Amino acid sequence: MKSKILKLMISIAIFSLLITACGAPATEAPVVAPATEAPAVATEAPAATEAPAEAPILIGASLPLTGDFSDPGTAADKGYKLWADVVNKSGGLLGRQVELVIYDNASNPDTAVADYERLITEDKVDLVVGPFSSKLVIPTSEVAAKYGYAFPEPAGGAEHVFDRGLTNIFFAQPAPSSEQSIPFAEFILSLPEDSRPKTFAVITGDDPFSISVVESTEKLLVEGGMTMVLKEVYPADTKDFSSLAAKVADLDPDLIVGGTQFEDSVGQIKAYQQAGYQPRGAMFTTGPSLPKEFDEALGIATEGIFAPISWFEESTIETNPEFVQAYHAMYGADPIAEDSANSFTVGQIVQQAVENIQSLDNALLIEEMHKATFTTVVGPLSFDEVGRPKGSFMVLQWQGGKIVIVGPDFAKQADAIWPKPNW
Amino acid sequence: MTIPSFHLFVQTLILGVLVGGVYALMASGLTLIFGVMRVINVAHGAFLILGAYLTYELFQNFQIDPIASILITMPVFFVVGWILQRYMLSRIANPEKTSVLVTFSLALVMEGLMGIIFQTTARSVTPSYTSEALMIATYRFPVTRLIGFGVALLIILLLYLILQYTNLGRAIRATTQDARAAQLMGINTSMISAFTFALGVSTAAAGGSLLSIIYSFNPSSQADWIGRTLSIIVLGGMGSIPGALIAALILGVMEQMTAIVITLYWSPIVFYFFLFFTLIIRPQGLMGEIIREKG
Repeated sequence: MKSKILKLMISIAIFSLLITACGAPATEAPVVAPATEAPAVATEAPAATEAPAEAPILIGASLPLTGDFSDPGTAADKGYKLWADVVNKSGGLLGRQVELVIYDNASNPDTAVADYERLITEDKVDLVVGPFSSKLVIPTSEVAAKYGYAFPEPAGGAEHVFDRGLTNIFFAQPAPSSEQSIPFAEFILSLPEDSRPKTFAVITGDDPFSISVVESTEKLLVEGGMTMVLKEVYPADTKDFSSLAAKVADLDPDLIVGGTQFEDSVGQIKAYQQAGYQPRGAMFTTGPSLPKEFDEALGIATEGIFAPISWFEESTIETNPEFVQAYHAMYGADPIAEDSANSFTVGQIVQQAVENIQSLDNALLIEEMHKATFTTVVGPLSFDEVGRPKGSFMVLQWQGGKIVIVGPDFAKQADAIWPKPNW
Repeated sequence: MTIPSFHLFVQTLILGVLVGGVYALMASGLTLIFGVMRVINVAHGAFLILGAYLTYELFQNFQIDPIASILITMPVFFVVGWILQRYMLSRIANPEKTSVLVTFSLALVMEGLMGIIFQTTARSVTPSYTSEALMIATYRFPVTRLIGFGVALLIILLLYLILQYTNLGRAIRATTQDARAAQLMGINTSMISAFTFALGVSTAAAGGSLLSIIYSFNPSSQADWIGRTLSIIVLGGMGSIPGALIAALILGVMEQMTAIVITLYWSPIVFYFFLFFTLIIRPQGLMGEIIREKG
């Protein structure tokens, strides 16, 4: 009987394979591996042209290549790989090639923690770099701290990242989450009296990053004289936004402030469309910052939507044009996601810190990262004693199917559209 | 806690009823299989998700409308269900006791395979009418949910008609009531079991298609859906299709109402409280019959 069951299992497997022969897009990352298996993503092989005398420098990371954060996670993966490629082509780091060891944590904090344990204790990587988003950065940074590793990270800026007394974290964006929406709030409050929104609602997923951004936005808007008519925190895995949207539509606030990763920004907007809710302005934390995926999911409904952003493709800041060029050479013409730039920034920080001190000693690197100012694609970066960056974010708006920077003045590409057209 | 306005109350009721209809279809196959075979098909949630992926692939690759694709996915799942019952479940000794374990392992295998094949990125099927809604008076009926509700009721009605008015249906009901007596009357109960299981699994194909246009899903969503459909059939009474329909509507409305009045976090909590209290008062569920152990 056993063999029959086995046969059956196999036939089910074949069946499932058959029906999907047309299959998943080939461009996607290879399959999720349970934490016990080999790295889900192939390691970056050293360039074949030269045989380095010394072993490559191993740099480890665990990224959400699948699951809730898979879109931004995959973008971060591209940034890391591009950085390793650029470094290796220019002779490596301290004369050695760089090799990335990247695991897929399926957006699961427990898996991410196990991955960093393994990277440090089993794979014995020389350096580690962070995962995507605060939810994963908070637990994993403690693993790195336990082993004395520096933890530069591309996307974990929530207040809780910085308030645990850790000194090994370096958040590679221009400002922590709590300050990211300042330019947006300033824009809203600077609108002339007669067109300025009076009411707003905050609808956020239960995620440390999202909550951190929307709550600081809320504070600024309330201080600026606006009234918050509704605040809802929904479970991070919520799929059905219809009742929430009905509730929002019923109150009809002028402005909607969404605390979202990618999936839920799309879920919220579709539910608002169905509920017939047409705000005069809309801001979402992550989602609108993904230039390709957001457009594919929503089409013309994206018009006029705002988001805070750390970086934009046309920026002429030192090293950015080279990054943009190298990105397109490696990945094709699709627009670049902010998250790719952020992980590339992490690479730049690692590279400059290592070269400054000519060492891979993590204790010395931590010291150097606190002291130095780094030249990165998001501008010059330096950090305070707990790793908060000391710079400013920007505001993006979707205009004509593209991301445009509408403020602050130092980066402005176009005037903002206000109020936004119907979605 | 917010007391909704009358308009919001009615709007939420509409949303709850619409989604309840879809839940009913998803649960109907599960309760049918239990009624006839006393087998709890824990893989039902995995079949729903597989149905959703099949719909997704047909839509992405061949632009087949997700509703039209039910005509393809249902027969395919019927065959799969038939084979599964004939070559796996029917060979298990003491199916009433062990089928939960076997179908649970089947669910895990299916989830793993779907993870390998489709990745774990959340998907949803987005035909052109996704964002549209029908206005009646000042109330909005989202088109996807309206279609989902209509299709679900239609399939449940067909199921009901088959059970009530065909010889096959009579044979199924006879088997439900007393398999041995049915066998003595000349009913081929093993064929009836295979047919019922196949029918139950094929409703999961339709349920999956509807799921794919209303929700986003990934392979691990199966656990969420088996939880939801199992609670529906427990509340409705194991084996009763009308019971499943009523319970599904209750769940749908309760979920949406709780989200409005309290928050989304409370939706499952409130429903499960209701389920526990119902079972304390009526252990057999709303429409269920007390199952006597046959000697």
